[in-house]
Amino acid sequence: MFTFKKYIFLFTLTIFLVFYSSHLFSLAAQIDYPLIVADDTGISVTIESEPQRIISAAPNNTEILFALGLGDKVVGVTNYDNYPEEVNLIEKIGEMSPLNLEKIVALKPDLILTFAIFQLKEIERLRELGFKVLDIEPVTLEDTLERMKMIARVCGIPKQGEIIVGGLLQRVEIIKTKVAQIDSSRRPKIFIGGTHEIIYTPGANTLFDELISLAGGENIARVFSGWIKINPELVAEKAPDIIIVPVGVMNPGDQSRIKEDISKRPGWSNIPAIKNQKIFIVNEDLFYRPGPRLVDGLEKLYEIFYQ
Amino acid sequence: MDWKNYMKYFTNNQNLKVNMGYTSWRKKIRVIFFLGILGILGTSLLCLNFGVVSIQPRVIFSILSHRSAESTNYLIIWQLRIPRIIMAILAGIALSTVGAAFQGILRNPLADPYILGVSAGAALGACIGIALEYISGYYLTFYLPLFSFLGAIFSLFLVYKSSKVSLSEGSSGLLLGGVAITFLFSALITILLAFSKSELHSMLFWLMGDLSTASWNKISIIVLPVLLGCFLIFFSSLDLNALALGEEEALHLGVNTSKLRVRIFITGSLIIASVVSFTGIIGFVGLIIPHITRLLVGPDHRIMLPASAFLGAIFLILCDTLARFIIAPTEIPIGAITASIGAPLFIYLLKRGYQ
Repeated sequence: MFTFKKYIFLFTLTIFLVFYSSHLFSLAAQIDYPLIVADDTGISVTIESEPQRIISAAPNNTEILFALGLGDKVVGVTNYDNYPEEVNLIEKIGEMSPLNLEKIVALKPDLILTFAIFQLKEIERLRELGFKVLDIEPVTLEDTLERMKMIARVCGIPKQGEIIVGGLLQRVEIIKTKVAQIDSSRRPKIFIGGTHEIIYTPGANTLFDELISLAGGENIARVFSGWIKINPELVAEKAPDIIIVPVGVMNPGDQSRIKEDISKRPGWSNIPAIKNQKIFIVNEDLFYRPGPRLVDGLEKLYEIFYQ
Repeated sequence: MDWKNYMKYFTNNQNLKVNMGYTSWRKKIRVIFFLGILGILGTSLLCLNFGVVSIQPRVIFSILSHRSAESTNYLIIWQLRIPRIIMAILAGIALSTVGAAFQGILRNPLADPYILGVSAGAALGACIGIALEYISGYYLTFYLPLFSFLGAIFSLFLVYKSSKVSLSEGSSGLLLGGVAITFLFSALITILLAFSKSELHSMLFWLMGDLSTASWNKISIIVLPVLLGCFLIFFSSLDLNALALGEEEALHLGVNTSKLRVRIFITGSLIIASVVSFTGIIGFVGLIIPHITRLLVGPDHRIMLPASAFLGAIFLILCDTLARFIIAPTEIPIGAITASIGAPLFIYLLKRGYQ
């Protein structure tokens, strides 16, 4: 009887998988090219056919492409790309700014995903040369997920995009409902530190600040807008409950010494976070890159705040 | 170093007397033009072979000879490498000619468009133009040289005014004013960058120099002002020679020095503005190339000005090739290369020249 049950189970599973995959395949060719999309430089870009050779000129774009299962179409990434591991096998195009145009042209891309804040001049030149450039520069979590759907549409897999983004949204919703139940008086005051002597911290209108609020924290630099050079006195005055130190390319440092360095800053000894040793080291890529891993970052923050 | 002593070195040298003679300069200028054009062509062809993508010289030759082939290599050669080399040539000609002319009219070996604040003024003008482009939404790329020119003239005006305020002797006052204005305008560019949300961040290159986005379009905009401007300066060679003997001597020889200054300043600003509006500030070329040229061919401006234009062009082609080749695919700002090659070379030539 047991084996029979097993067969039945396997049978249903196979049927389900076949049905599901055929469902996906039938949707694969659903996009009617040419497709016109508006990118973040405010230009309408016409995509004539499904892109097969994509260059990602920023790590967040690479992460989006891999999350959507389009990793095998990426033919070039920047020196800064480090996630997922497969990017190590992909040809490097050099720095994010300035872009090496010759290298990009030589890779014969049919789609280039850029990040205009560093690359405006090169984007203009690449368009002059007849390349398809789609600028992806989201500023909020919602924007980021929208751009993911857009990239999925451009690459001919709109349904897959909806499913993947839907999954991410669901995870965001879970955190949101959990946070909604927490009384506002219990929300910890958060300070985002750094490994440099001069600390740049995210104020309002930054992705990091948005994630802190979503995860149920109160960013002490909220009164400012954008990334600001924070005054150490202000940190002492605001008395944060938790200090988070992002570490990575922008904040290099010896992990073991970071907590000690932060604790020993002059005038900070009375800060609750330091007295209670509530200093947490996180991977900056989860918070700086507008890509799918922002949701990982959000969950990480919630975990730090309430567990 | 004092300009008078500096020029004395040349006047004591037999070369100058020979150069000042009217018999040999025509022959000399022909040789300079021949060697210069040959040098530029040779360097260009050589540097065309270097790049992050390796293309066989044979392939490059065939792409150059039949322009029809539509391939990636064709695109790289005709749309990326050649415009970049031509931009380097124009920038080299402009910076070193204007540098030489400024040194001549101010009779100061430290004068150069960068130090006089002209480059910074031009860059600030271009930055304002770009900011306006984003605010207004109009496409202003063709007018960028105009904005640069206004910026350059404005900075020169300020420098001139400030040197009149300071009671120091004419040319050194100008230089001090220039240094101050350079700092002020660089600071203003930084502030402009801080205010703009994102548009100008990619324009940080104004402060370091960059040829990577050179295009035929941009070349077509600046080629006439640069070349015509340089010819205008070449035609002031004799006046500059007279001025080299001293302010009073020049007046006795019938040179209207104040008019000459205004003429050279405006022409120079126009040339520098055209180049800077598309390449950003490239330092050191305008300062050292004229000195090296003076050591090589002597101080006669009729020969020295064209020679320094050619040498500047060759120097910048080489620097840009290094900038894009040393740690490819990463590019180094060209300003860093010009300074780190130029300075030691200059010191070496200076030492050798004085022995």
